[in-house]
Amino acid sequence: MADKEKTKKFINRLKSRNIVRPMVNKMYAEGVTAANEGRPLAWSMVNWWEGDIVMRAMGVTPVYPENYGTVCASTGMAQKYQAICDAEGFPTHLCGYSRNHIGYAAEMKKLGKIPPDAPLGGMAEPTFMLGSGIACDTRFKWFQALRQYYDVPVWTIDTPSYDHTEDIDSDIHEHNIRHKVKELERFIEFLENLLGKKIDMDLVEDYLENQEKVFQLWWEINELRKAKPCPMHSRDFWTLMVPGYYMTYDKDALNLYHQVYEEVKARTDAGIGAVTPEKYRLMFAELPPWHSLDFFEKLAERGWNFVVESQGYHPPEPMSLKTGDSVLERLTRWTYWVNVGHIRKAKEKNYPLFGPVQYYYNWAREYQVDGFITHSLLSCRTATFWLPHAANILKEELLVPSMNMEGDIVDFTVFDPDLVLKNAEAFEESMDYHRGERKRKGLEW
Amino acid sequence: MKGKYFAGIDIGSTMTKVIIYSEGIRGQVIGPTGPEHRHLANIVMEDALAQARIPFEAVDYVVATGYGRINVPFADKQITEISCHARGVLHFFPNAGTVIDIGGQDAKGIKIANNRVVDFVMNDKCAAGTGRFLEVIAETLGVNIKDMGPLSLKARNKVKISSICTIFAEQEVVSQLSEGIPVEDIIAGLHEAIAGRAFRMASKLKIEGDVVFTGGVAKNTGMVKALESHLGRPVYICREPLITGAMGAALLGKELVEKAMESGKAIKIKERKLTTARVF
Repeated sequence: MADKEKTKKFINRLKSRNIVRPMVNKMYAEGVTAANEGRPLAWSMVNWWEGDIVMRAMGVTPVYPENYGTVCASTGMAQKYQAICDAEGFPTHLCGYSRNHIGYAAEMKKLGKIPPDAPLGGMAEPTFMLGSGIACDTRFKWFQALRQYYDVPVWTIDTPSYDHTEDIDSDIHEHNIRHKVKELERFIEFLENLLGKKIDMDLVEDYLENQEKVFQLWWEINELRKAKPCPMHSRDFWTLMVPGYYMTYDKDALNLYHQVYEEVKARTDAGIGAVTPEKYRLMFAELPPWHSLDFFEKLAERGWNFVVESQGYHPPEPMSLKTGDSVLERLTRWTYWVNVGHIRKAKEKNYPLFGPVQYYYNWAREYQVDGFITHSLLSCRTATFWLPHAANILKEELLVPSMNMEGDIVDFTVFDPDLVLKNAEAFEESMDYHRGERKRKGLEW
Repeated sequence: MKGKYFAGIDIGSTMTKVIIYSEGIRGQVIGPTGPEHRHLANIVMEDALAQARIPFEAVDYVVATGYGRINVPFADKQITEISCHARGVLHFFPNAGTVIDIGGQDAKGIKIANNRVVDFVMNDKCAAGTGRFLEVIAETLGVNIKDMGPLSLKARNKVKISSICTIFAEQEVVSQLSEGIPVEDIIAGLHEAIAGRAFRMASKLKIEGDVVFTGGVAKNTGMVKALESHLGRPVYICREPLITGAMGAALLGKELVEKAMESGKAIKIKERKLTTARVF
């Protein structure tokens, strides 16, 4: 939260995470420099890599307003930008990230320059905006709304609806890949017209190769977290996800994950946990309270180790690529795979098939969790709709209890950490009870 | 545990409850929490000790629970009100499976199985759906809160309260009064609104077993009727529905001492004095 009161530390954070902050600083600084030097700058939604690599290969520097929402939330600036957004007449139930960004953009427009107090140097005026059809409609509607402040081109990369079971049983999968490749071709055409230059597909391929190595390592790191005690807490995951989300093209990201892997592996081999003693292993869904991450220290004090989290932030599982695929096919397969790979896995294991629930069902077993913490968000339908179903399935089928905390990703005024802490003790009683029940019913943990 | 005394103190947002237990209830006092609960906790405790006719030093173990539990300077241990309510309810109703507690400023649902808390759900963010909501509206209507239950049972055509905010509901009630709607119909509508909220909250737990209704609002007969209507089954109510948390606290304290004695380990007991602690 904005409150900078020192919290006693109980999470044994990874040393290698310290590499991330300079990388994030650099990402934002490069955006401002690009704009100052007249090079193209994009405000981009998270697009699960497909757009990023294309933009980078075209010499575009993207910055990410959703990520900037987390930065503003953690530095306490989000309240100011949200208040500006409210005063502009936007309703308060809109996405917290969008309210932050609209407020920021309105302020920048009013001042005629980047607000001097903007965290990490701010985001300069974009050349264009890139929306994404993945996850929710807000992620292109919000940029359309922003044109009232910055009338620059808005492009949206469309995606087919991907949570359909049918996808894995028929040729819909390949049809969707073709559709997505077409979308990327159209996006490249848009960029070539806008920037007056041709794309270098060899560069796209180089970036993609780097990305595939990043995915593999990042995935292996998370696999190591199945160890008991878990060597890496969700707090480190949420820090370390940034390069894996926004910088997969970059050799520095690959180097980072090499170092993280070595550190996590060393901890695993030595039996070192992120929380000692690890009394309870927790799983977190979905988006964290970026304004109050120190709050997890208080839960760690109770022996709560968060061992897996936020399915939407995880890298895709390894997959076999088709030989003969074009670079764009390969690129879009990864983006598509991160959204549908879990459906295939769930189907193979006969798990309940319902959206993101499959991830958590799978993880609850693989990471052997004692409890499931759901974070229902006032301003995000996408990350909230399925939480009750996930909680019910986990409790009924795996005897893993859940506790819900209400809040928001950006707006700390709707989050009550004291209430969660107050209820933690009772939840431990519930976790103890279900631990006994799992044993009694012959579950593995 | 013959001859041993256990105290449970439940500091709620509006009322403080104390139970002195020794092979049955020896003292039971309910008093207002007031704005400074640290100041009043010892007074309520003193009253309960007087009822039990024992000095404070004779109490073997003190457990504090409720919203103000952290601020009880003379407690040996703090235990969450969810655990204490569950334990207290089981003492009175051994077949209880679900507890719906509506207090002054929060509402909670607790699911119990095999004598343990299995799940719970809570609302303490919004006054609507709590006892405070009824207090505000009683004041607006000029009705004694104790009369709300019996009055609502005379309703012929209960109104629909559409506002989900206490302040707006108050305005809605004023508007209904000015339209000449009978007070009993308005009160019945309010009970319906609160019961509906409590039912939706508790339903998240998948209601099973006997349902026990606790907290100050359980004293309201109109609320009981409205809740039963939503549940489609009767609810069980203690003779004094406010004391289940304190009762559970006393019993959990007793069980902790018993467990320690069985294992031969000494239980940690504070050097405690029944004194006032103040924050203001």
